[in-house]
Amino acid sequence: MSDALLEVRDLVVRYGEVTAVDRVSFSLAAGETLALDGPSGCGKSSTALAVLQLRRPSSGEVVFEGRELTALPERELRPLRPRMQPVFQDPYGSLSPRHRIRDAVAEPLKVQGRWSSTEGPARVAELLDRVGLDPSYGDRHPHELSGGQCQRAGIARALASEPRLLVLDEPVSSLDPSVRAGVLNLLADLQDDLGLGYLFICHDRAVVRHFADRVVEMRDGRVISG
Amino acid sequence: MEPEKRSEALLSVRELRIAFDGVETVRGLSFDVRPREVLAIVGESGAGKSLTARALLGMLPRDATTSGTIRPDLAAHRGRRISLVPQDALSALSPVHPVGDQLAAAVRSVSGVSRKEARARAVAALDRVGIPDAARKARAYPHEYSGGMRQRAVIAMATINEPDVVVADEPTTALDEERRDQVLRVLAEQREAVGAALVLVTHDMDAVREHADRVLVMYAGHLTELGPADEVLGRPRAPYTAGLLASLPQHAPPGRRLPALRGTPPAPGALPPGCAFAPRCPLAADVCRAAEPEPQQVEGRLVACHRWAELPHPATELFQEQTAEEGEERQPA
Amino acid sequence: MKATVRKLVGPAGLTRFVCLVAVLATVGLLPWLSHRDPALTVLRARSAEQEATDEALSAIREDLGLHDGPLSLLGGWAADLLRGDFGTSWVSGYDVLPSVLAGLQVSLGLMGAALGVAVVLAAALVAPVLVRGRGSAGAFAAMLAAVPEFLLATVALLVCGVWLGWLPTAGWAGPEYLVLPAIALGVPAGGLLGRLVADALPAVLDERWVELWRGAGVSRARIAGAALRRVLPPLVPQFGMAAVGLTGGAVAVEMVFAVPGIGRTALGAAKSQDLPLLQGSVLALLLLGLVAGALAALTRRRLLGPALRDAGLTLPPARPVRTHPAIPLTLFTVLAVTIGWGLLRDPYTLNTAARLAAPSWAHPLGTDALGRDVLARLGHGAASTVGTAAAICALSLLVALALGFLPGIAAGAADIANALPPVIVGILVAAAAGPGTGGAALAVALISWPALSAHAAALVQEVRASAFLTAQRAMGATPWWILTRHVLPSVAAPVARHALLRLPGIALALASLGFLGLGAQPPAPEWGLLLDESRAYVERAPWAALAPAVALALLAGLAVSGAAAVQGRRPRRTTAGPRGTLGARAVRKETPVGA
Repeated sequence: MSDALLEVRDLVVRYGEVTAVDRVSFSLAAGETLALDGPSGCGKSSTALAVLQLRRPSSGEVVFEGRELTALPERELRPLRPRMQPVFQDPYGSLSPRHRIRDAVAEPLKVQGRWSSTEGPARVAELLDRVGLDPSYGDRHPHELSGGQCQRAGIARALASEPRLLVLDEPVSSLDPSVRAGVLNLLADLQDDLGLGYLFICHDRAVVRHFADRVVEMRDGRVISG
Repeated sequence: MEPEKRSEALLSVRELRIAFDGVETVRGLSFDVRPREVLAIVGESGAGKSLTARALLGMLPRDATTSGTIRPDLAAHRGRRISLVPQDALSALSPVHPVGDQLAAAVRSVSGVSRKEARARAVAALDRVGIPDAARKARAYPHEYSGGMRQRAVIAMATINEPDVVVADEPTTALDEERRDQVLRVLAEQREAVGAALVLVTHDMDAVREHADRVLVMYAGHLTELGPADEVLGRPRAPYTAGLLASLPQHAPPGRRLPALRGTPPAPGALPPGCAFAPRCPLAADVCRAAEPEPQQVEGRLVACHRWAELPHPATELFQEQTAEEGEERQPA
Repeated sequence: MKATVRKLVGPAGLTRFVCLVAVLATVGLLPWLSHRDPALTVLRARSAEQEATDEALSAIREDLGLHDGPLSLLGGWAADLLRGDFGTSWVSGYDVLPSVLAGLQVSLGLMGAALGVAVVLAAALVAPVLVRGRGSAGAFAAMLAAVPEFLLATVALLVCGVWLGWLPTAGWAGPEYLVLPAIALGVPAGGLLGRLVADALPAVLDERWVELWRGAGVSRARIAGAALRRVLPPLVPQFGMAAVGLTGGAVAVEMVFAVPGIGRTALGAAKSQDLPLLQGSVLALLLLGLVAGALAALTRRRLLGPALRDAGLTLPPARPVRTHPAIPLTLFTVLAVTIGWGLLRDPYTLNTAARLAAPSWAHPLGTDALGRDVLARLGHGAASTVGTAAAICALSLLVALALGFLPGIAAGAADIANALPPVIVGILVAAAAGPGTGGAALAVALISWPALSAHAAALVQEVRASAFLTAQRAMGATPWWILTRHVLPSVAAPVARHALLRLPGIALALASLGFLGLGAQPPAPEWGLLLDESRAYVERAPWAALAPAVALALLAGLAVSGAAAVQGRRPRRTTAGPRGTLGARAVRKETPVGA
């Protein structure tokens, strides 16, 4: 268990009096894909937000790269955040409509103080290339791209933070089948090359079966198998 | 091209064209709907399948210009002869009217029965789709229904006047698997019960496999392949159909990579010359870039492809190779 | 139990309560707030002969309780009020309550008739939208709604009363006296009601249930009826607001047509510093507003039925009314040229030889009763009005942006501000600070920021809920970075645009206060004041009244068409909403199919 990239123990998330996530535990190794599967409203997305510490869990532990995150104040958590990055379902909504793709991908570098005017643009171009987008797409706004292209840009932005873990929240659910296959292949390649851990949330069983190494099935906030 | 025989058709669509601001999104489509059959229309976003369905119902947006024929004109008897199950059945009922009233409104508009008779029919229809305590539930508002019950009520409303054709426009999009199965099951039951044909617009290939008798594959507003569902899905003859099927994870060979189509479907009005699929097609040859293929009879189905004879089976390899060498969306549109 | 109480009160409920108390306290404290010695007013009123000796004045102050400081003054006023004692008029010496009740009775009759006019007009505006199934009467209705009552009243008086002589124009002696005031008061309200419904209908007809109903064969008439049924409940609170607006409009209309209603009573009391009468009549007006609001809430509950709570309360966002940008541009150009030309001329020089002169080359718009050039006064009046309005806009924008991050407070304050017509606030401010440009500006500013801050709050919420902002937090961005790089830029630009669009409306509100004598004072060339001054000579010199009337109408047109042109141009997808709905929206994009 010591080599786990992410270890979640007895995670509980409450919204007011509703318990969205009820004592969920699982672990995930580097280079592994763990799928969270279940019907809508079963607590998958709440679990993802709690793992990312974007919604602080009510109780339980989230141990990431050996550090327990739930007790950390935001200030101490912030430097660790880049190591785990989300990719969202809606390709358009996850990018600011007012910013060009290149600015969106450059933003993590700027936020994390790793931007330099000499190397930054080259790094952005490299990241776009890495996700299969021609660097000329950098000049466009999200609404000028197709859904698949936006999703790739979102992945490029996540990669800019040099993460170890990607939390993929229904990343291909709003894409057409032929485009979906391309994005899934990209994610598989990235995992092979970079050894990323994937927490993969998806309600499409066929995709889960194909893509995940292990599956945790949830229902009504609890793990029912896996 | 050889259109299907009219004699057995309940509804014949010939050379249907739908355009917005002079840009054609459906480009000369011909097909039939036969009595009591389930015809699936599949294709990706923007292929024109939903517009085609709306054309059958006479419910196109006002700014659409159409040409071609749809015979007989069932849309003139909407409700009684043809009806719609819309997308997103969860939000398809009016939030401010009791569910029973909504069904009764459909009955009263189509057949001039008394208010009481209409209400009785509404309750019966709700009962038929398996809503418990239908008489009481008919007086309730949609928000007092569970998600599953709302979907059943929508299907009950679409079938209450026992139409000849039910058009279901992406009835399962954005639903999780359980709900999807439920919707498809109730839809199939009701279609059977009222003896209607079902036109199922979807991009869910599993739904097609499980429920459809025939399937119409559309690409860029054009017919790509039309034939018996099990044959088309079992052995596609058009490269687009083959690629679409190959890219589904449920049919993927072992290994991590999925076969994939490169690029994205063309936007209406920005079609490449020749075959619209040619830029994404691994079999494309010069003829494909020169002339758009017309649908032709191939082994009991219609296929619109110059190179159908070249398509291997299984075609998985064809799309696998392609992805390994090339990022799918690299070329700027 | 506790939770329900908290839900009822909440930050918005609390703000609402605090605002209401503040308004009431302001009314109660008017004698103290006004800073001018009412003793003299009272003395003059009580006996013209008595000399204003210190003893006599002091005795009066003692009598009025002004010595004991604001708190005891407020306490005494409230205690009297609870006993049903509204005090005694300083001017007439009579009890306030009977005058208030008499005025209220007249005003209620007038408002009832106006409401009838409004409903008929609204129905006429909505009918074509329902019949055609789409399109919108929005632009025309918005135009009607934007015409201020005082302008409409003046024009109606001019045309029907004076020129055509069809109907009596002053007094309250029979049903025929009701017609013109009811029309002047009812048309803007009807325009507002009609616009609300007509704007909401096309979006409702695009809702998915309409598709289902059409697809199931439900007849067009039934769908139209159902759409109306769907659209009304969420709009009822706004109908209540329109009814409240009638109380404000009534002040101007009653003044123009010399109707002895509560509005005219309040205005007269404010001008003569008769504070007890003012307190009584303003209270009556506020009460009217509150009753209208309560009735609206009740109606909504009835319409919705007991089972239906939040489901029917939200409407889809209205589709923007489209206007060709040439319309606002033309209006703007005409106004700008007129104003620019007028600015080059002298607005104050008296020329008694050329009084009430007809338009000529020397005086393109004629002269007023003192021989001053109308064009010059129009131009200079615009400069000061627009300047004041711009300052109010900027101030409102700043307040809105600051409070946009506290949606509870913004919503509560917005409710109260919506329930207070600018005229009543203007009367209060004028009574406290004396009539003047500053007071009028303050009054308009007090009620113009809440709409902006509600807009800002909605945008802040929308941006905060978007996935791209979550991504910012996940990459380790500080709250400051997120605020300055993402939230503020997303919010500031649209709210600033909104503020700019409100500029003509704010200028109209200022003009209406000027018209009532609550704003700029003579000889300042303020537009409302110009219109008011010219009324006396309207038969001899109609152009002197026509010029400011037309200018104000152009301004109203600019307010509407400018907003429509900007909204129509904006792309549909500007900022992203919450994740869940976006999935559905993305799917819907594929099906550009409406009703």
